[in-house]
Amino acid sequence: MMPRLLARVRRGVAGFAMLLAAASAGAEADAVSQRVEITYWEKWTNFEKEAMQRVVDRYNSSQDRITVRFVSMSQIDRKLLLATAGGNPPDVAGFWSHTVVDYADRGALTPLGPLMKRDGITADQYLPSILDGCSYRGYVWGLPSTPATMALHYNRRLFREAGLDPDRPPQTIAELDEYARKLTRTDADGNYIQMGFIPTDPGWWGPFWSFWFGGHLASADGKELLCDTPESIRAFTWFQSYIKDYDQRKLRLFEATYRGQFASPSNSFMAERVAMQLQGVWMSSFIKEYGPNMDWAVAPFPSETYNPDAPSTVVECDMLVIPRGARHVEEAWDFIKFVQRQDNMEELCLGQGKFSPLREVSEEFYARHPNPYIRTFRRLAESPNAKAVPRIGVWSEYRDEIAAAVQTIWTSSNPPADVESVLRRVRERIQPKLDRVNKRWELVREERIKEWGTP
Amino acid sequence: MSLELSTPKPVASASSLARQRLIGRVAVHVAVILLAVLFALPFVWMLKTSLMEPLQAKAMPPVWLPNPFRFDNYRAATEAIPFWRYTVNSLVLCALNVVGTTTSCALVAWGFAHYRFPGRDLFFAITLATMMIPFPVLMVPQYAIFRDLHWIGTTLPLWVPSFFASAYNIFLLRQFFRTVPRDLVDAARIDGCGEARIFWQIVLPLTRPALVVVALFCFMYNWNDFLAPLIYLTDDRQFTLTLGLQAFQSRLGEIEITLLMAATTLMILPVIVLFFLAQKTFIEGISLTGLKS
Amino acid sequence: MGNAMTGETRRNTFYGLLFISPWIVGFTVFMAIPLVLSFYFSFCDYSILNAPVFIGAQNYQDMVSDEVFWKTLRNTAYFAALSLPLGTVLALALALLLNTKLFARAFFRTVFFLPSLVPLVALAILWREVLHVEYGIVNSALRWVGIGTIDWLGDPRHAMHGLVFTSLWGIGNSVVLYLASLQDVPRGLYEAAEVDGANAWQRMVHVTLPMISPVIYFNLLMGCIGALQVFALPYVMTKGEPARSTMFYTMYLFDQAFSYLNMGYASALAWILFLLIALLSLCTHLLSRRYVHQGDLS
Repeated sequence: MMPRLLARVRRGVAGFAMLLAAASAGAEADAVSQRVEITYWEKWTNFEKEAMQRVVDRYNSSQDRITVRFVSMSQIDRKLLLATAGGNPPDVAGFWSHTVVDYADRGALTPLGPLMKRDGITADQYLPSILDGCSYRGYVWGLPSTPATMALHYNRRLFREAGLDPDRPPQTIAELDEYARKLTRTDADGNYIQMGFIPTDPGWWGPFWSFWFGGHLASADGKELLCDTPESIRAFTWFQSYIKDYDQRKLRLFEATYRGQFASPSNSFMAERVAMQLQGVWMSSFIKEYGPNMDWAVAPFPSETYNPDAPSTVVECDMLVIPRGARHVEEAWDFIKFVQRQDNMEELCLGQGKFSPLREVSEEFYARHPNPYIRTFRRLAESPNAKAVPRIGVWSEYRDEIAAAVQTIWTSSNPPADVESVLRRVRERIQPKLDRVNKRWELVREERIKEWGTP
Repeated sequence: MSLELSTPKPVASASSLARQRLIGRVAVHVAVILLAVLFALPFVWMLKTSLMEPLQAKAMPPVWLPNPFRFDNYRAATEAIPFWRYTVNSLVLCALNVVGTTTSCALVAWGFAHYRFPGRDLFFAITLATMMIPFPVLMVPQYAIFRDLHWIGTTLPLWVPSFFASAYNIFLLRQFFRTVPRDLVDAARIDGCGEARIFWQIVLPLTRPALVVVALFCFMYNWNDFLAPLIYLTDDRQFTLTLGLQAFQSRLGEIEITLLMAATTLMILPVIVLFFLAQKTFIEGISLTGLKS
Repeated sequence: MGNAMTGETRRNTFYGLLFISPWIVGFTVFMAIPLVLSFYFSFCDYSILNAPVFIGAQNYQDMVSDEVFWKTLRNTAYFAALSLPLGTVLALALALLLNTKLFARAFFRTVFFLPSLVPLVALAILWREVLHVEYGIVNSALRWVGIGTIDWLGDPRHAMHGLVFTSLWGIGNSVVLYLASLQDVPRGLYEAAEVDGANAWQRMVHVTLPMISPVIYFNLLMGCIGALQVFALPYVMTKGEPARSTMFYTMYLFDQAFSYLNMGYASALAWILFLLIALLSLCTHLLSRRYVHQGDLS
C-alpha cells in the first residue's frame, strides 16, 4: 500500500517539481561546446589536489570528446552517500577503500569487471594487497588512484640526543616502549616537554592496532568480527599501558596541546615534540613543507615479534568509482582508464608523494620520487602482512564503535577500563548487524548476480 | 522567616537607610559590570585573535593587544574559503525564506483569523499540534520525498517549503489579525473592496510590526540553520556560510586560528548590525514569541 | 450540504479555504505524508538506496538493547539537567539585576543579549578555541587562579560541562524575556508586600517568582524540547567525542540515517523522539496546572 501511496505522491507533485527543477537547472545548461562534461568529486586539497588536477588537465587536452569537471570537497563520504541516495551522484568519485563496501553492499556502485575485461585491464597489473582493497564479494568496484601504507616515522636528531642509534629503529613493540621512555623529557615540574611515542598521536589507525600483534578485525569470509581475540586484547592492553606507565594527567594535557594539528608547523612530530609516530606515506610531503629542517627516517612499524620478511601495515587505497545512477558511465570509465596508464599513474603518485599501485614501476619513478623512503612503503605494500580494511557491510559502524571503545580505554582512569569487556561489547553490538547484512545479501544474491554478472 | 514577616520592621534612621540603599546600588553595579565583562570576553578574545599573528594569538599568558594589527587576516580569511560566495548563498536562501514565510503565513493566518467555515477549528487545532513536531523527526521521510522529486543537490528543499506556511508563525500572526476590527473590513467590503484588496491594503499595513517580527526571526533562523543545509547541500558551490565555516574549521589544523576567528567575526557581524538596526523589533519579538503561553 | 449554506457561509468557506490553502498543501506534503512514511519506515529495513523491506517491530526491539541509544538519551538528559537550571538561575539573576535602577541599563542588556544572536556554528567554533587546553581563555583564567588546566573538550568527564558552559553564554534570549515579564509585574503588589514588612528576598519568593512563573515554565519546557534537538553545537565542537560522552540524541539519529544509511532505524528513533516531546509537553502542562500561578500575563 505504501509504495502505491509513494507513487501517487510522486506523480502528484512531479509536475510542480519539474517546473521548479527546470527553473533552477536551466542556468546550468551548457550550450557552448559539444563535449560531454562529466563530474568528478575528490576529497583532496592542496598539493594532492594539484597533482590530480594535472592529470585531469592532461586528459582534457588529450581528446576532444569529454571534459572532466574536477571538484574537491570536504566530508566527501557523507556527501557521496547523500548524493547517490538522492539519485544525483557525480560520474566519477574518489573513494577510500573502506567506503566501497558500504556502497557495494547496497548496490550503489557500477561493477567494473565487464569494462575491465572488455578493455584488457587485468587484476595482475596491480599489487594484490591493493586490488584486494578495491574488491568486495568477488567484484571489482573501483580502480586505484593512489595507495598508501603506514610506517614508523622517527626523528633522528632526537634519537641521537637520547643516546639511541638513529640507524637502528625499534623492531619490536617492547623496543618501541623502551625507546619511547628514553625519548621522553620533562621540565622541572614533571610536565612533559617531549615524548617518545603516544599511541593516540595522531591515532588515525586506532581500530587497527591488533594488526601489529598478528590480529585481524574480521574473518576472511567477512562473517565474524575479531575485535576481541587474544591478539586484539594484547594490542589494546599495550595501548592502555601508556596511560598506566606515564603520568596520565600530564600525558593527556601534553597530547591535547597538539590535538587536531596536522598540516601545520605545530604538528607534534614536525614541531619535534614527539619523536616517533605511526604515519602514512604522505608524511614526507608535509615534513617538507612544515618541518623542512628535520632529520627524520622511516622504518616498518614494530610488531610484537620481529618479522623482517613480512612486516605488518595497514594498506589504504584511494580509488576511482562510478556511482550507480551516474549519467555518463562510458565517459567516466574512459577517464578512469586514462588514470590507470602507467605514465599517468606515476605522474599522479609522484605528485602526491605516494608509491605506484601498479606492478610495473619505472626506475625513473623512484629516481624522481621526492620521498627518500618510498621503497620502504612499497615493500610494506608487498608484504604478506599488509592488511586492508576488512570488507564487511557494516564497516563504518564497526569502525566508529571501535573508535569509541579506544577512546573509552584511553580516557578511563579511575578505574581503568577492562580492555577485554570493552572489546567484547563492541563485538556483541556489531556482530548481529553484520549477520543481518550477510543474511540480506543471501536473499538478494541471485538477483544481484543477474544484474552484475558472475564474479 | 515567617515569624519575622509579622513583626514590625524596626524604624531605621533616614541616613542609614540611604546608606544601605547606596551600598545596594553599588553592589548591583559591581555585579552587573563583572558579569558583563564575562559575557563580553569571548567577543573581545575573538576580535583580538582575528587581528593577530598566529604565534601571538597562541601566546601564554594571553596577549590582549595585537601587535602589529593584522587587518590583512580578514582579506586572507575571505580568500581561504569562497567566503563571499557562501555569504551570497546564505543571503539568497534567507531572502527566499523570508518572502515565502511572511507571505504564506500571513495569508493562512488571515484565513484562520477572519473567515468562519466548517472545519476551521479542526484545521487550526492540527496546526497547533504540528508545532510540536521538530525537524529531526521529519528529516528522514522528507529526504525520501525530496529524493523522489529529484531535489537533492539543489537548494529547493531549503526554501520551497517556506512558501507553504509554518505553524508557529501562523499562530503568531493570527493573534494579531484577530485584533483587526471586523467593522473596518465590513465597511471596506461594502465599499466594493475585494478580499484580496482587503488583505493587501487594510490587513497587512495594520499588522506590519508583527510581520516584521516574523520576517526578522525567519531571517535569523535561516542565517543560523545548519542541519538542513548539511543534509541537502552536497555541492560546495551552493554551501551556506554555516556549512562553509564548519568545513573551514574541520580542515585539521591546516588553517590558522587567526583566520578562523576573522571568518567567524565576519559571520557574526551582519547579525550584530541587524540587531542595532532593529533593536526594538528584536526585544519586542522575543517578548511576543516568548509570552504566548 | 452546499444547498443549506447561505451565500455568506459559502463565500466565507471559499475564501477561508483559499487563504489557508498554502497550509493545506504544505501540511500534506511536508508533514502528513512524511509522518506516515516515517511511521512505515520505522518498521522497515531501509537504506534509501534500495526499496524498504518490512521487518516488523525489529527496529524498536533493537533500540531496547542498543546501549548507544540509551547513552545518547542519558547524555541529553544530563545536558538538560545541568544547563536548564543553571541557565534559568543565571538568566533570572541577570534579569533581576537589570530590573534595578541601573546606570546604562540598555547597554548592559545589549551585552547580555548579543551572544544569543551568534549563529550556533560560529558560537561552537569560537568556544572550541575559548575552551582550548593551551591558549583558551577559560584555561588561562583557571591557571591564573591556581586551579590548573582542564581539557574541556577532550576529557569525557568534562566534555559535557564544556558544552553546558558554552550554552550558558547564549541565554540572552531568556534574560530579555524575564526582564520583560518582570516589568509587567504590577508595582502595587510590591508596595503591598512592603507594607506587610516583606524584605527583598521574601518579595522575590512570594511576589516576583509566582508572578513570572508562567514564563519560567514556558522557558523550561522549550528548553527540554530544545535539548532533545541539540545538534550543531556538539557536532561542530566535539563530534560526539570523546568516547561518545557528548553524543546527543539527534546526532545519533543523524548518524544512523545519513552516515550508516539505516533509515529504518533512524525513523524509529525519530518516532521515539516525537513521543518523548509529546510526553514532555503533556507532563509539564499537567504540572503547570498544579503549581504555576496563572497570572494575568497572557
